[in-house]
Amino acid sequence: MSRPRRLRAAEPRQGVAAIEVEGSRWRESCRRELGDGARFCGAYASGDRLARRWSALFADGPSTRVLTTRVDRDQLPTIVDLVAAAQWDEREAHDLHGLRFEGHEPLRALVDHTVDTAAWTTPVEGRGVHQVAVGPVHAGVIESGHFRFHVVGERILHLDTRLFYKHRGLERAAEGRELPDGLRFAQRACGACAVTNAVAYAQACESVLGLLPTRELRRARTLLLELERLYNHLNDIGAACAGIGFASGNMAFAALKERAMRLNKELAGHRFLFGSAEVGASRLVLASQLAGRTRGQLRELRQDAAQVWREVRFSGSVQARLGGVGVLDRDSAARLGAVGPAARASGLEQDTRSDSPGLWYGSSFAAAGPEARTGDVSARLQVRASELESTFEVLDDLLSAPIAADIASPSGPKAPIGVARVESPRGETVCVLEHDLFRLRRLHLRTGSYANWPALAEASARNLLPDFPLINKSFELCYACVDR
Amino acid sequence: MSALAAAIQVLGGLALAPLLPGTIQSLKARMQGRRGPSPLQPYRELRRLWGKSLADPQPTTIVYRLAPCVLAATTGLAILLVPVGGLSPGWGLGDDALVLVGLLALGRFALAAASWDTGSGFALMGASRDLTLAVAAEALLVLAIVLAAIPADSTGLAAMSAAANGSGIWSEPGHWCAAGAFGLIVVFETGRQPIDNPDTHLELTMIHEGPLLEYAGRDLALLQWSAAARHWIVLVLAAELFLPHWGGFGAQLVCLLAGVALLCVGLALTETAQAKMRILRAPALLAGGCLLAMVGLASWLAGGLV
Repeated sequence: MSRPRRLRAAEPRQGVAAIEVEGSRWRESCRRELGDGARFCGAYASGDRLARRWSALFADGPSTRVLTTRVDRDQLPTIVDLVAAAQWDEREAHDLHGLRFEGHEPLRALVDHTVDTAAWTTPVEGRGVHQVAVGPVHAGVIESGHFRFHVVGERILHLDTRLFYKHRGLERAAEGRELPDGLRFAQRACGACAVTNAVAYAQACESVLGLLPTRELRRARTLLLELERLYNHLNDIGAACAGIGFASGNMAFAALKERAMRLNKELAGHRFLFGSAEVGASRLVLASQLAGRTRGQLRELRQDAAQVWREVRFSGSVQARLGGVGVLDRDSAARLGAVGPAARASGLEQDTRSDSPGLWYGSSFAAAGPEARTGDVSARLQVRASELESTFEVLDDLLSAPIAADIASPSGPKAPIGVARVESPRGETVCVLEHDLFRLRRLHLRTGSYANWPALAEASARNLLPDFPLINKSFELCYACVDR
Repeated sequence: MSALAAAIQVLGGLALAPLLPGTIQSLKARMQGRRGPSPLQPYRELRRLWGKSLADPQPTTIVYRLAPCVLAATTGLAILLVPVGGLSPGWGLGDDALVLVGLLALGRFALAAASWDTGSGFALMGASRDLTLAVAAEALLVLAIVLAAIPADSTGLAAMSAAANGSGIWSEPGHWCAAGAFGLIVVFETGRQPIDNPDTHLELTMIHEGPLLEYAGRDLALLQWSAAARHWIVLVLAAELFLPHWGGFGAQLVCLLAGVALLCVGLALTETAQAKMRILRAPALLAGGCLLAMVGLASWLAGGLV
C-alpha cells in the first residue's frame, strides 16, 4: 500500500485558515491571495440582515484560506474583475441574500427568475442574429435548464444559461440541525455526486469537531469516491456517444455502467452509494473474500471498458465529430475557474485528489491528462478514459486488503470553520460549514458542476447549434447541483 | 396481374409501410444489444395517436392545419405511382418519375410552410435544414432518375424498372453509379443516419423530426404514417429500379421482397455502425452523390457515342 502524498500537514486533513478582512481592504486582500498563486474556489454569504458577512475561499495546495469581511448595508466591492470565476457566486448572493457588488456591472439575475429576459441575457446584436430558446422542458429525460442561444444561421455567437429552476433551499433547511445531521442535506444535493458531497461534508464537519480520520476511514472513503467516479465516467462517455447518435457506443457504455452500479449495490447497499459515508465513522466492511471477488469483477470491467473505448475511439465517424468541437482554451479555463476533467482537458494540471491527505491516494497519484491538451470534446473524453484507468488502479490497490468499519480518532485540533475540498467526477466540490456549538449555522456547497457551467457557455460559443448537445455532454454537468 | 399489383400498392403503401421503420428499429435494437420494441410498435403508436384530440398552437393559420393532410395526400398519391413487380396499374395518374419528384417536394413544402406558420424555433430549424439538404437531395434524385431513364428511353417508372430487369444492365457502369447515388436518397428521405437521427430526443440536432414537434393527435399520426410511407416509396423504388431483379411479375415480386428486406438490414447496420455526421458535412455527402451520378451520366453518354 502506498503512502499518501504530501504529508506536510501534521494530520491527515486539509488545512484551513480563517482570515478576517476589513471591508475597505477586501479587494486588496483578494488580489494578494490571487497574486500569491492561490486559486479562487468559491464565495458565500452568511449571517443575517443585521450582521451580514461575505467570505471568499482560496485554495493553495492542500490548504484553504477563507477571507471574510463584514458587509455594511448589504454593499461591498466586487472581485469579479480580479477573478471571473467569482461571477456566479456574486450573482447568486445578490439574488438570494440581497448583496450588491460595486463595480459588478451589469449584475445580471442568476437565481431570480421573475425578471424579464433582457435582465439576464447578454445583448447580442447584428444582422441576422436571432435567439433560439431551449428548455426548461426538454424532449428527453433531462433536468430543468433553459438555454438561450444567440445564433446566426447554425452558428452560436453566445449562450446564456438559466438554471436554478428547482431551488430546494437545502442549505437553508440544514441550518439549525445538529452537525452530523447536516450530512443528509449535503448528500442529497445531487444523485451522481452523492459520495463526494457526503465525504466533503463529513470532512468539513470532522475538522470543526476535532476528529481525525483513521487509516480505515480514509481507505473506505477513497473506495467509495472512486466507485462513484467509475460509474459516472462510464455514464459520461456513453452520454457523449448518444450526443452524436452513436447508439452502439452508448449502449455498450450503458451496460458497463450498469455493471458498476450493481457492484455499488453489492458493496455499499445502494446503486448511487447513498448513505455510505457518515461523519466520524465508516460502516463499510469488506472481508477479504468479498474484496477479492470484487477485485476480479473490476478487472473484468476494466478490460471490457478498455475494449469498448478502443472501438469507440477508433471509429471513423466518431472521430470526425469530436475534434476541434467545443474548444475551451487554457486561459479561459483558468479565468472561469473550470475544474475537473474539463480543466485538465484544457491543460490545467489541477486535481484535488493530489491534495487530499484525508483520503488514500498514493504518492504516485498524478492528475490525468489527454494526449493533446486541446480542450475540445475529444480531449475531455480522453481525460475521462485515462482517469478510468487510474480509478481502476486505485480500486485494485484498495481492494488488495480487507476494509473494516472504524471510527475517527478524537485527537485532532478543532478548526474554527469547516472547509473540505473533494474531487468529484466533474471536478472539485467545496463544502463549507459554520457552526454554533453543535448546530449548523451555515452550510455552503459548491460542486464541480457549479464551477464548470460558465465554462460550458464559453466552450459553446463559435460552434454549430446542432453540436451543442455533444459539447454539453462532454462536460455532462449536473443541474441539481445548482438547485441546492 | 395489374389488379394484383394495384392491390399490393395500396395494401403495402397504406398498411404495410409502418412495418418498415418498425422492422429497422427492431433490427437495430438487436444489433446494439438491446431487446428493443416489436416491429409492430409503429402501429401501436398510430392507434394511440389516432385516438387523441388535436391541439393547435396559437396563433396558427390554415397552413398549419392543412399541412398533415397535404403531406399525407401527396405521399398517398406517390404510393400509387411506384410500380411493384415491374407493373404500374396507372390509376389514371400515369407513372412518371418527375411527378413523383414533384409530389415529394410538395409534401416537403407543406411541412416547411407549417413550420413557418407556427414560428416554433425547433420546427423552423428542422424545416430549414431539411430544405437546405433538399437542394442537394432533389438534384441527386433527379440525376438518379435520369440515369435510370436513359436505358429505358422514358421517364415512366414501369419502363425504367423493365429496363433494369435482368443482368445485362449491370454491365453498364452508369447503372452502378445510379444505384450508389440512390442509396443516399434512401438515407435522406427515410431520415436516417448518418444524415439524420430518427431516435434522437435532442431538439437541436433534429432535421425531419423538428417540424413534427408542434403536432399532436391525428395530425401527428398522419405525419408519422407519411414518414413510414416514405420508407415504402423509396425502398420499393430502390428495389424496383436499382436492385437486381429478373423475370416476370411473380419472380419480380420475390426480388422486391428480398430487396426491401435487404435495404432494411442495410439501414439498420448503417445506423448501428455510424455516428451522425456534422450537419454542415451532409450537403457535401449529397453533393458527392451528385458527382457520382454525373460520372454515371458521362459513362452513359460516352457509351452512347461509341
